[in-house]
Amino acid sequence: MKNKQKPKIAFFSFTCCEGCQLQVLSCEDELPDVLSLVDIVNFREAIDEKRDDYEIAFIEGSISRTQEIEEIKKIREKAKIVVALGACSATGGLNCLKNRFPMEEAQRVVYGNKAKNSKLIDTIPARPIHTVIPVDYYIHGCPITKSEFLDVLKSLLLGKKPDIPNYPVCVDCKMAGNVCVFEKGMTCAGPITRAGCSAICVTYGCVCWGCRGLVDDPNITAHEDTLKRYGLTVDGVLRGFDLYGGWEKYKEKQ
Amino acid sequence: MNYRFLSKKGVASFVTGLLKEFRVYGPVKKDGFPMYGEITSPDELHLLHTPTHLSPKHYLFPQRETLLRFKNGENHSIEPTVEAHDQALFGVHSCDIHAIRLMDMVFAYGTPDVNYLKRREKTVIIGIDCLPDKHCFCKSVNTMTVDSGFDLFLHDIGSGFVVEIGTRKGNDLLYKHAKTKKATAGERAKMAEFKNKKAELFITKINAEASTLPLLYSGSYFSPVWEKIGKICYGCGSCNNVCPTCYCFDVRDDVTLNLTEGGRYRVWDGCTLEDFAKVAGGHNFRKTRAERLRHRFNRKFQYQVDKFGGLFCVGCGRCIRTCLVNINIAEVTNELIEETNKDRS
Repeated sequence: MKNKQKPKIAFFSFTCCEGCQLQVLSCEDELPDVLSLVDIVNFREAIDEKRDDYEIAFIEGSISRTQEIEEIKKIREKAKIVVALGACSATGGLNCLKNRFPMEEAQRVVYGNKAKNSKLIDTIPARPIHTVIPVDYYIHGCPITKSEFLDVLKSLLLGKKPDIPNYPVCVDCKMAGNVCVFEKGMTCAGPITRAGCSAICVTYGCVCWGCRGLVDDPNITAHEDTLKRYGLTVDGVLRGFDLYGGWEKYKEKQ
Repeated sequence: MNYRFLSKKGVASFVTGLLKEFRVYGPVKKDGFPMYGEITSPDELHLLHTPTHLSPKHYLFPQRETLLRFKNGENHSIEPTVEAHDQALFGVHSCDIHAIRLMDMVFAYGTPDVNYLKRREKTVIIGIDCLPDKHCFCKSVNTMTVDSGFDLFLHDIGSGFVVEIGTRKGNDLLYKHAKTKKATAGERAKMAEFKNKKAELFITKINAEASTLPLLYSGSYFSPVWEKIGKICYGCGSCNNVCPTCYCFDVRDDVTLNLTEGGRYRVWDGCTLEDFAKVAGGHNFRKTRAERLRHRFNRKFQYQVDKFGGLFCVGCGRCIRTCLVNINIAEVTNELIEETNKDRS
């Protein structure tokens, strides 16, 4: 690596809490090593510098304004590789809860009555970034796990396809030695949700809310039947998917 | 076979003795449910347990284990690694001991698997009698009792335990750490009573002789049953992961941040997962859940039997308990039996 120019990477954020970028910044032990491998040329949350000569763009956040569409397209043009960073970017995330309401109402509730006439505050249904630009790789999770970010980065630098799990959280749960949430009388989105999180929520006593999105081929009908068997109503079942699955549902309606 | 009598109190001091020599793993309560865990005191053990939700296989075949470390570049090197320590598995049921015997065969077959075998060599197995829960069907696959594969086996006879000595190692440990006396004929008779009582308690059963099952499965490849259960299956891999005889793994590399050194590790995989039979180029040999389930069931009742000579289902019932859509390996087998009988008549 010594004589070669280091690859340049950049971080961008759209509609999100920037928590996934914070996860990157909290890799304190690893950051010095990361910086010996790459140059970070654009990272609003961390540095003042803003250059556009990046090769890899990590993009956090969903797209929820028309202006963002233009901005993200420009990033796509410049970057050789685009990686969706976190749930909002990869699946639309929590932001898609907005899509259940008329956009005018969402705009008024958040920005007040005057917002209606402002071009700066337009709002469109929130959507994952792959609906706007082609995406090469996904780092899932709300927030992302640090180790997965580092693994993906290493893979990209080695020219290797990142290893993103396509099996459900049940696998991670069994690996972690957890008692199944359903055994404890609760319900969980784990059986249809993409793993890779080491089942951290269940391990610490919560349930899986599905922040990493669905596996490639989820058995949704089976899961609806299971939830009903565990006493949930149709409404409750549907709401169970809402928190992180909003985009999938919005898409179906269109 | 040598039998000794050990009082209930004696068990505690025996375990305390073991703790001085081994890491001891045994049945404990986790969130109120029986699971295996490491113990530091005999008080943590729950010996009269129904089957643990996960099998003890991970003590011999860990979820993730490093196989070798490597360095690239000018002074490149490869160093195999074996992670093993002295350990005692306490309170293992007969089904799981049968499973470990099968795993021993698998990992010794062909090129011996050094990592497994080294760990196995350092493991002491102390079995214990048990009563079935509603999912257990060990009686149907002839694993209700076990006569080898353990160092010691504890039979609860109420007033204490009759300890069956399986190996010299077990014998030495018992004499070193416990005060026992020769089991009387009366005490040994109680062992048989327990066995007879247990045999009556099974709710889950396979309605055919175990020896007929390989033939049954070989004739059921095109049964409509597979499509039926494939429809409701999640493909979540839980049945694989809780199974004491599922041993498939994936091998991957991990590099450190200098990108020049790292490790090669193996991690559990499962044949019911979508990507299990996916190969380079994207082709998937078992694309549907139905195909994958059929494969798993055949691995238990036919394919492995041809190779190793014994059923690979030990009737522990864990896959039945863990399945959220109630796919029941015993019931599915009974359906196949019924189908075959109908075809014949």
